[in-house]
Amino acid sequence: MREKMLSNVKGISSLFTILAIAGLLVCFSVAAATAAEPKVALYIQDTEPILDWDPSVESGGGMLVLNNVYETLLRYDATQKKIIPLLATSYTQSNYGMTWTFKIRKGVRFHDGSKLDAKAVKFSIERTMKLGKGMSYIWAPVTKITVVNKYTVKFDLEWPAPLDLIATSNYAAFIMSPKAVKSHNQDWLSQGNAVGTGPYVLQKSTMGEEVILRAFDDYWNGWGEKRYDFAVVKKIVESSSRRQMIEKGDASATVYLPAEDLDQMKSNPNVIVNVGPSLENTSIMFNTQRAPLDNKLVRQAFAYAFPYKKVVKYAAGGYAIKARGALPAQLWGHSKSLFQYSQDLEKAKQLLKQANYSQNSRKLLFTYVSSMEADKKMAEMYKSDLAKIGVEVELRGMPWESMWELSKSRKVEDRQDIFAMLWWPDYCDPYSWLYNMFHSQKEILYNLAYWSDPKFDKLIDDANYEMMFKKKKSLALYHEAQEMLLDESPSIFVYDKKNTLVTHKSFKGFKDNPAYPNVVFFHETYPE
Amino acid sequence: MRIFIIKRLLLGLLVLFGVISVTFVIVRVIPSDPAAQWVGPRATIEQIEAARVELGLNDSFFVQYGNFVADLAQGDLGKSIRTHQPVMTELKAFLPATLELVFLSTFIGVFLGLYLGVVSARRKDQWVDHLCRFFSVATVSIPAFWIGLLLQYVFYGTLDWLPLGERLSMNVKLFHEIPDITGMLLFDSLITWNLVVFWDALKHILLPGFVMALFPIGLVARMTRSALLEILNEDYIKAARSYGLSERIIMWSYALKNSLGPTATVVTLAIGYTLVNTFLIESIFSWPGIGNYIASAVVSLDYPAIMGVTIFSAVSYVFLNLAADMIIALDPQVRT
Repeated sequence: MREKMLSNVKGISSLFTILAIAGLLVCFSVAAATAAEPKVALYIQDTEPILDWDPSVESGGGMLVLNNVYETLLRYDATQKKIIPLLATSYTQSNYGMTWTFKIRKGVRFHDGSKLDAKAVKFSIERTMKLGKGMSYIWAPVTKITVVNKYTVKFDLEWPAPLDLIATSNYAAFIMSPKAVKSHNQDWLSQGNAVGTGPYVLQKSTMGEEVILRAFDDYWNGWGEKRYDFAVVKKIVESSSRRQMIEKGDASATVYLPAEDLDQMKSNPNVIVNVGPSLENTSIMFNTQRAPLDNKLVRQAFAYAFPYKKVVKYAAGGYAIKARGALPAQLWGHSKSLFQYSQDLEKAKQLLKQANYSQNSRKLLFTYVSSMEADKKMAEMYKSDLAKIGVEVELRGMPWESMWELSKSRKVEDRQDIFAMLWWPDYCDPYSWLYNMFHSQKEILYNLAYWSDPKFDKLIDDANYEMMFKKKKSLALYHEAQEMLLDESPSIFVYDKKNTLVTHKSFKGFKDNPAYPNVVFFHETYPE
Repeated sequence: MRIFIIKRLLLGLLVLFGVISVTFVIVRVIPSDPAAQWVGPRATIEQIEAARVELGLNDSFFVQYGNFVADLAQGDLGKSIRTHQPVMTELKAFLPATLELVFLSTFIGVFLGLYLGVVSARRKDQWVDHLCRFFSVATVSIPAFWIGLLLQYVFYGTLDWLPLGERLSMNVKLFHEIPDITGMLLFDSLITWNLVVFWDALKHILLPGFVMALFPIGLVARMTRSALLEILNEDYIKAARSYGLSERIIMWSYALKNSLGPTATVVTLAIGYTLVNTFLIESIFSWPGIGNYIASAVVSLDYPAIMGVTIFSAVSYVFLNLAADMIIALDPQVRT
């Protein structure tokens, strides 16, 4: 009896011990939860927040982080199609677009306390040019940068170029503190340090995982009543996890959710699915140097065989618009009156017949980036429609690097016949876009249709020159150049992608700017 | 015994050498341009050329191989093509998180596995045994990532008891000092008696730790059960029974002790399997470890990083195999 009582007492006491420990742990967790007064914005994405912390070098995926820590001289508002002053308050150009003078904003401090002036601007751009990495090539026209006075800096160019647009670039145009950079070795920035003028200061960066930014109290543009004290950018690979987190309010914003998820989330009152235009565009490049696609008629037939509507609806999940011409709708130079191909299999068959296309031709190789689900679906749909006009295609999904390497093979026969291409502008300029994709190139880089036509080259060269002086004439020239592309069909212009950024309802103030895709300028946002 | 270990070590070195050589060749056969990747998505021809020189890609294959082996001998795995940081530094940063997960899951796996194995053996052919056997077969055969997603949905999405992933919650990360001694949060926070961090880290590791433990649980349970059933028919067990010793003492003190040899061997191999499993589990639970690291490296063909993780995995396997061999060798039955 006594033993039984004793064992009961023992049991009760151990129960109490467990309860006490559990209570203690709960207290700790409550303490941890309530300690959080400052507001935190959490942005989750499927890739690393940043790869290389050096603002002169990074061009891989750190646009969001860098644009909150650093600033550029100017910013481009792609929805209004206008340039907004940032670190430069105004600018002028002279000498037929060969000299550009920028007035630098006064009273701006870097995160290390040093002041922004013309010298810092000269130092930053020269550093980027000298390193020659990432997208530094955007400064190629610049021959000399001169500090005119403390707050005026002058750029001399070798050939006329829209330096104002270049200064808005989403990479390689950031201004950094000379004091901080000079007092460390060259790799210091790369190793995870940052000293910009932006509204957020780098607090901590965990390699490949997350970046914690803290609001910069001395930010030149000041702060509103409500703000996010911390902005965190984090990698969460699983899209299902990202969806759950945003729906529960554990995250503030996320990108790259599958179209099916986006459709379902539209009815959830706790989240906002922000759908806006983008400057990203999907196209198909034909190998114009190898039969049968060296024949214009065959290329036109292929353009008529493409299932545009189906691809927009099913491959892009409806989050895209059918392309009109080479330039996306949001880019200056786009023309609404250009011809647009639609699927017409009968016409395609006729054109093939006209071109004497043999039904026993070899199988054509179509390459696409294997990780891009939309491209895979597009390739499969196109393959089945090409089969209807008697063209056989072999699909090959590859990592981008391998696919690009294959496209640059020395022998034309080793290259693919059809290449699925995703393109976006380095800065919002039609010339850079058309030059990269279709201007004659001695060594192949991104002109993966291998297309070369001196007449087209001259058209876009002239359009680029006229852009700074006679905008109307420039537009007409770009229109003509694109008409030429549509007629010659070295490429099919498929769709302009839409940006889809999902935010929680408590995350306010986000404004989409297609010139900086999926970038949230946290300074504009606030919690509610 | 010493000769046995030396022999095994030499064999291990040979295996490592083979793995390094084969991986080196494979990585270079895949069509890709590391120089273009090094520069970034909008590389110019001049930049690619400069990078090719910088990375030594213009050297002959054998010179590149020689340089790689020479650097490796000094503990230098080269720089990651994507992040431009030394692979060794990155591995060191990601390793503790993976090790913490592997240790915890092995711990859970061994204890739960042993318990289930013993229960199964004691109640052979009863419903408890059938249930345990079903459970252990299921844990070995159902893909861990599927269970992971399911548990996330239940414990985060529906019940809201546990976090979805990561190692710590944002508030703890931002407003508490995180101890960093070994990089293994549970251990570090416990020895510094930082209970807020410990509790938060524990909540975060439970789901991934349990999912990773499933395979070892099943394996250990089945192994223990079959070893025990064999041992329970031995004469000395019958003798013990005839002395009137309680079934509990016979099972836990006599039979289980003797069944541990084969189980220990299986455990070392299960650790190896768990290391590989981290590749999936870490992605699902956003666990910042080696698995997450290699997943990004493979997708972008970051070959120095791929080589780094491959070498790490090979070294781990060699040592785990060595441990398994030694456990077997220590068994007096094998020794004689």
